[in-house]
Amino acid sequence: MTNARATRESRQAKAAAMRAAAAKAEARRRQMIVGAVALVLIALVIAIFAIVQTSKHNNAKNAGSTPGGFDGNYSVVVGQASAPVTVIAYEDFQCPACQQYEKANRAQLAAYVKAGSIKIDYRPIAILDRSSSTNYSTRALNAAAAVVTNSPSAFVTFHDLLYDNQPAEGTAGLKDQQLIDYAVQAGAPKAAVTAAVTKEIYKGWTVKATDEATTKGGVSGTPTVKVNGKTLTDVSAASVKSTIDAAIAAAKK
Amino acid sequence: MPKQVSVPPKVLGRSIDRRLVSTVARIFVAGVFLFSGFAKVVDIDGTIRQVRAYRLLPEAVVPTVGSGLPILEIALGVLLLAGLLTRFSAVMVTLVSAAFFIGISQAWARGLQINCGCFGNDGLNPHPVPGYIRELVLNALLITACSWLIRRPGSRWSLDAGLGLTLDDHDDDEDDADSEVPAIPLNGVQQ
Repeated sequence: MTNARATRESRQAKAAAMRAAAAKAEARRRQMIVGAVALVLIALVIAIFAIVQTSKHNNAKNAGSTPGGFDGNYSVVVGQASAPVTVIAYEDFQCPACQQYEKANRAQLAAYVKAGSIKIDYRPIAILDRSSSTNYSTRALNAAAAVVTNSPSAFVTFHDLLYDNQPAEGTAGLKDQQLIDYAVQAGAPKAAVTAAVTKEIYKGWTVKATDEATTKGGVSGTPTVKVNGKTLTDVSAASVKSTIDAAIAAAKK
Repeated sequence: MPKQVSVPPKVLGRSIDRRLVSTVARIFVAGVFLFSGFAKVVDIDGTIRQVRAYRLLPEAVVPTVGSGLPILEIALGVLLLAGLLTRFSAVMVTLVSAAFFIGISQAWARGLQINCGCFGNDGLNPHPVPGYIRELVLNALLITACSWLIRRPGSRWSLDAGLGLTLDDHDDDEDDADSEVPAIPLNGVQQ
């Protein structure tokens, strides 16, 4: 009697265990199928997105006009060609740290330029479009390209005006009309600049300039300042001064 | 007088619902990944520059990684939020977080002055260390939450359970059996 019951119970237990194992296997099988489908879908979406983004980026790059007046396509060089020290400055018009750099260094750099000991190689780029609601970074760079194309000597004044009147991050940035007014104030011809700014005809070039700086230039943020090829980690007035003085002394030897 | 039966010590599974802990872990990780994925996807060019700034990957793959990463993050965030393929997603998140962890550590070690891209920040930062620490802690938390999920993917309000992709009850029973004090016969007599 007890034996029979034990056998029945053990048979039932065995059957239950088998059912559980089968259910588990079924769950695992379903998991594999859904997992494989999900993996393929995610991979597909990523691939399509990457391809679309790349082609969009390339199309944007090649659209519009190429500005004139730049050295080597992306530089505005200020100062005597014979100056022994070159200061390269990658800056974004929306970047607050660039504004601080400008505030701290503008006067002393101008004095060095005047003395013929340095030349400044301005390389404006646009990496902070998301800091404004209107892509101010790109619009400001486009306006700078318009100024350089039409009146290269007006660039530095325009550049300084934009840093002195830099819009705060997270705002709509300066309006097109304001950009045009500053360009005219700096000495650029109104009609040509107006057309270039309102239609953003140099937008494709702004993408190229930024790509060039972030790939070949090794720029990962702004301001990136290089003195005779050496990148400064500290762009305070004292650090810039001592680095430039050392470079001038080295050049004299 | 019969011997007093000792009360088993309160293990986690008895004092709080483990499936609820899994749900919380799942939603925490999903929230972080969705947030950071969306922050990156709105500025793909910036994300690509950010990936480049870590100076880890060859230029040939940087644009693909930069545009693929936000999509991967969003996809994993959605899966975890829905509780679909929880264990698989948790493994993937662990891999991605570990990659971030290594990327940030090496950037710090090499003295690169970058803002962490984890939340779509941009650019050079003269004081990057607090950011590095914040991101390392966050990624460590993500990995911790995921290692819980990998062990216990069964959670409340998940599609996995709804679609019959897991047998959580059985899993729980097995796990409980491991951690519990062996049953003591009520009469205290060892058989």
